[in-house]
Amino acid sequence: MPDSTIVVRNLSKTYGSGERAVHALDHVNLAIPSGTVFGLLGPNGAGKTTLIKALTGITDITEGDAAVAGFDIRQDPMEVKARIGWVAAEVILDDDFTARENLWLQAKLQRLTEWESRADDLLRYFSLLDRADDKVSHFSTGMRKKLEIALALLHQPSVIFMDEPTIGLDVSTRRMLWGIITSIHKEFGVTVLLTTHYIEEADALCDRIAIIDRGKILAEGTPSELKARVHADVVQLEVSVPVDPAALSAIPGVQEVHAQGNDWMIRVASSEAFLPLLLATYPAASVRRISVEKPSLETVFLDITGRRLGEDEPIRDVRRFYAQMRRTRQ
Amino acid sequence: MKPSWSALWGLYAREILRTFRNPFVLLITVVQPFMWLAFFGSSFSLLPAAELQELFGASNYIQFLLPGVLSTSMLTVGMFGSMSTIQDKRFGFMKRILITPTSKGTVFVTKALGSATRGLVQFPIMIAAALAFGVRFNLLWWEWGVWVLALMLLATGFCSLFLAITASSTDWQTPGVVSNFITMPLMFSSAALFGSSHFPAWMRAISSVNPITFSALLGRSFVLGTTTDWAYLGYLALFAGAMLAIGYFVSSRWLKVE
Repeated sequence: MPDSTIVVRNLSKTYGSGERAVHALDHVNLAIPSGTVFGLLGPNGAGKTTLIKALTGITDITEGDAAVAGFDIRQDPMEVKARIGWVAAEVILDDDFTARENLWLQAKLQRLTEWESRADDLLRYFSLLDRADDKVSHFSTGMRKKLEIALALLHQPSVIFMDEPTIGLDVSTRRMLWGIITSIHKEFGVTVLLTTHYIEEADALCDRIAIIDRGKILAEGTPSELKARVHADVVQLEVSVPVDPAALSAIPGVQEVHAQGNDWMIRVASSEAFLPLLLATYPAASVRRISVEKPSLETVFLDITGRRLGEDEPIRDVRRFYAQMRRTRQ
Repeated sequence: MKPSWSALWGLYAREILRTFRNPFVLLITVVQPFMWLAFFGSSFSLLPAAELQELFGASNYIQFLLPGVLSTSMLTVGMFGSMSTIQDKRFGFMKRILITPTSKGTVFVTKALGSATRGLVQFPIMIAAALAFGVRFNLLWWEWGVWVLALMLLATGFCSLFLAITASSTDWQTPGVVSNFITMPLMFSSAALFGSSHFPAWMRAISSVNPITFSALLGRSFVLGTTTDWAYLGYLALFAGAMLAIGYFVSSRWLKVE
């Protein structure tokens, strides 16, 4: 196990006090290994951005402690800031400046004396060298994002914080950015902590993921480890003939059966093994609709929280089903 | 926290470059005092020269008014500095700065000095405008320098004051509200527009501690060729120093990031 670049111990952040207190972070514990892309996955308001603000010294913390790149965020905030880069959800550049001038300002803020060759290397790496002396107000969103990442890398940080880096981007720009995040992590050996509420993004980019909701870390592991928590597929079935739940439950591999309107939600160990047995029980002509949901980070999130990511109200039946399954297991 | 000269220079240069790359800001900075000179300065143009001499100690009211208008316009400069800070907070740039090893105090100092420097852009243009209105200058080279220094101190003081008051605000309207609240009393209780000898006693008392008065009287002594009271320069230095210290203290603790 490599050393941890970020260590968070019992960290809490509370806004307000008394009855109106909002616990944005509630005793968070994390150890983020060096050289990994670590994802914080959670819905809006889960505490992801607050955690990044706390670790970058933008907001103070109520309780606990944390270290970034070997420095305590409370005792040595400036040492931490000299070793971190930051990519915001919205692109934040000085539009009146050229790309090179933005890098110059970043170099000044990071107290760098030798920065020109590094800046040229980064501009070349991000295919921006021929536009280095153009004002960034004339850049496309993708180019602006690339420049923002170049700014974050200029001082050779140990860690880059990316707060919802692809929010609001079109699909192709998002894919391009995924490629960049993967490659900078490999090429520059930097640890990346990114927050996202896009499940496919966390799955595609992250070596490890922490699921955060309402200020608490609910689960943490590699995407495979998290998916392995849900040891089941979910089959949703609608048939035109009466269904005997006992008969369904008797099919080998079925873990749980639950009626939901005209549908039946069936939790099975393996949908591949179950479906032939199901079709042997119910003639194909009687099956109106059938769908299979394999374990995914979405189902992990549902399994843990009883809610789909991005939806706060537990309205949909499928979520009730998952919540009920969870309660049954407890 | 040790100051970062590198960040100080970077952010100061940013303030200046942004001004010169934004023609609208430049235009507003220059047009307002020019309008004062053109409209207010012309209000006594039909007054006989003898009466002007008796009232203002000058045969041309614009000659009397110019140092005062330059001084009062440093108040507006403070408002612009404050608005630029709020813009940085709202657009996330403040966060970008403060995620680097740059202190809030450094941000404050660069904003105050940058805004004050921006205010001095008005100086050569106003001098040129005054020449066009018939004002003649017989200043020694070092008197020009001291006049600019006085204006720089005044602007630094007012910019610091505005930044301290609006440190915890992210509302676009706050600088305007603050400006409305302090501009009028400071301007009219100073010797910027009229000599304070005709003021009632209570207004004279305010005028005698008003930094705009110090700057206006110092500049006026150079323009009109009268005796210079060098204590005014000391008062202005004290004002700028005190406001910088207060602003630094307030910003270091309460400057909002977003």
